Amino acid sequence: MNGEAVASDWSGSRRTLRQFLARLTFVDVALWSLRILVLAVVIGGTIGTLIKTRYGLAQWFDFIMFGVTIGSIYAQIALGYTMVYGVLRLINFAHGDIMMTGAFSGYFLATAFDRSGFLAAHPVLAVLGTLLLSITVSTSIAVLAERIAYRPFRHVRGLAPLITAIGVSFFLEQTFRGLFGSSVKSYPDLHWQRAAFVVGGLTIPKIDLLVIGCAVASMLVLYLVIHHTKMGTAIRAVSEDSEAAALMGIDVNRVVVFTFMLGGVMAGIAGVFYAFVFKQVYFYMGFTPGIKAFGAAVLGGIGSVPGAMIGGFFLGIVESVGPSLFFDGIGIPAPYQLRDLIAFTLLIMVLIFRPNGLLGERMAKQRA
Amino acid sequence: MPQLFRRIALPLIASAGLLASAPGGSSGARAETLGPVTDPLGVLKIPKGAPIQIGGYWVISGADAALGTDEVRGVQIAFKDHGDRIAGHPVKLSVEDDGCNAEGGQTAATKIAANPNVVLVIGPACSSAATAGAPILWKQGIMDIATATTAPALTAPTRKPEYDGFVRTIYSDIYQGKSDAGYVYTQLKARKIVTIHDGSAFAQQLAAVMAQNFKDMGGTVLSVEAIQPTDVDMHPLLTRIATEKPDVVYLPIFVAATAQIIRQKKEVSGLESTIFIGSSGVMAPDLISAAGPAVIGFRIGYPDVSPDALGKGYGAFVAKYKDAYGEGPISGYNANAYDAGVLAIMAIEKVAVTAADGTTYIGKQALHDAVYATKFDGLSGPIACDSHGECAQFKPAVYEYTNADPTTFDIGKNPKKVFP
Repeated sequence: MNGEAVASDWSGSRRTLRQFLARLTFVDVALWSLRILVLAVVIGGTIGTLIKTRYGLAQWFDFIMFGVTIGSIYAQIALGYTMVYGVLRLINFAHGDIMMTGAFSGYFLATAFDRSGFLAAHPVLAVLGTLLLSITVSTSIAVLAERIAYRPFRHVRGLAPLITAIGVSFFLEQTFRGLFGSSVKSYPDLHWQRAAFVVGGLTIPKIDLLVIGCAVASMLVLYLVIHHTKMGTAIRAVSEDSEAAALMGIDVNRVVVFTFMLGGVMAGIAGVFYAFVFKQVYFYMGFTPGIKAFGAAVLGGIGSVPGAMIGGFFLGIVESVGPSLFFDGIGIPAPYQLRDLIAFTLLIMVLIFRPNGLLGERMAKQRA
Repeated sequence: MPQLFRRIALPLIASAGLLASAPGGSSGARAETLGPVTDPLGVLKIPKGAPIQIGGYWVISGADAALGTDEVRGVQIAFKDHGDRIAGHPVKLSVEDDGCNAEGGQTAATKIAANPNVVLVIGPACSSAATAGAPILWKQGIMDIATATTAPALTAPTRKPEYDGFVRTIYSDIYQGKSDAGYVYTQLKARKIVTIHDGSAFAQQLAAVMAQNFKDMGGTVLSVEAIQPTDVDMHPLLTRIATEKPDVVYLPIFVAATAQIIRQKKEVSGLESTIFIGSSGVMAPDLISAAGPAVIGFRIGYPDVSPDALGKGYGAFVAKYKDAYGEGPISGYNANAYDAGVLAIMAIEKVAVTAADGTTYIGKQALHDAVYATKFDGLSGPIACDSHGECAQFKPAVYEYTNADPTTFDIGKNPKKVFP
């Protein structure tokens, strides 16, 4: 390469750099700064924590198990969000509260079973009965909400459906508060729920395995329903284009009701398992997990069933592991008050790189 | 335009903020003469037969509802003991729910302050609510007598002028924190502790005071942890704490989070011999309901509210409480609330001027001064406010839950007094 060519290359690079700088906006700088900062905290914190060796294998395993357990519950709630969004493009903000209605109704039956001794004598039957009641109540309320509150606004453009969903959320919370009081109620605490397997020095609580297994099974059943049944085909058709689906003879109302039923079933199951793990039920209990499950659904790619599942697990694990893994190493005190910050910052990071969520792109391409 | 905004609007906003921070500000109380009374902060006029309106804000819903409800009852009994009349007028207590948080305190205080006929405010129970609410009330020249807000900053010598209208018939956590540290260090012989707060003014300040006193005694604070009041999964936090092997975990937080922690600690290895100690926010039957059997053995640093330690009239007060509400006290600050009611009555009657036509006039500054000057032997002990609004005294005690049946809640029995 002669000197003239080198000079020309140099001049070209400078021109490209000038063009790049000219195009650079404040938002670009802010986003790149955020990415660099988050990556620095994640990498630096992780290295620092691992060097400190404060936590052993058993503790890391526990952190992950705790995260997967709560993530399973987020995932089950997120499945309801994602199903409804997939069909109606409606963010059903009342979904967390529908979960609450299931947990609440299950509380009364579980407590009655506990007092009568039935829960201790026949735990499987008692849990199945509690689940059945919870599912029935949450499904009924989900279907009623669709029929009374959402259907009149289905074809209304703008924010009316969203505001209606928020209204339904408040209505359910305040109704349950009025009916059952505002105090925290406690689910029965049974010995078999605290039992655990110990494998190689690692403790695995049975209730956690049950919750995780149930969440995975729910997702598989939902996936099979959507992809291998006639109703599932109808759901996918309505999801693609409801007007075209109606012209093809699909009863859109029936499909929408079925979708809300599926969401209600998921919420009912999630409510009981949430209460069996965390024990407390009260009228406002659905709000925070509902918001987190919505985040999980967005993270996984809203409208995608496996995406909701992956999003839920991701959020749960990051919440559980993140504070110790990222913040211990860089000496940030009291890291657990920042768990939501960590989880949602990483959620934003993922969405910056993949705006459609982890599994949302495939769906977008398919639609295109 | 942005430059114009910076040059003109920002100074105006800043000036408005300064003006609004004390009575007599742009939208606050101002000097006034009504009937026979002239007052630099304004005068309240109560027509003949009209009620004396007392505002109140407490937590009366959610997991901590027992705390506030108990205090509302204490105030109601104080008014009833006085014939439900003050200065010849019927008394009307209007209670707002503050949710035991700053946002709720701000909303409740704003609503109360919007009523120009409110003579005085009693409550709240929670320091976060008082921190946000008291300045809003004082901006309108309304005195606030708190009943269970113990955060030290609220009556510290360094408090801002916007809190001049705030007094409390409850002790400061400076004394609670010192007492708890002494119990942990001397009685339990603990040398390593971890504290957990939930970001609220009460929990954060009490945990800090306790930790500082514990360090001063020679103990080690391994870490200061924090959670959010709505957190449910405490397993990761407890796993982290277990790696530090503390003798004691001190958690002056509220019902829902405390219940989760004391339930879940049994599921985390390494905390089997660690003692968990809470504080006044969980002296309620709701803790037993929320925690279930895990509540047994849980201790609380709390003032001594046994009949021996309280004023002579406490036994009769409890009898009236049971008659009126069909149950015994559901939390521990009812005597302080009763004293707040009595303080309000005495101060108002001291400054109320009733004209020949039956109309009563009350000067706001005069009422402020009267509240600070009033002294009496209250149900919770001697009441006499210092110049920073601290009106009560503290007698330390420690209690321990012994039964998981919520109906057995009875301060002194379950939880049982274990110290002194």
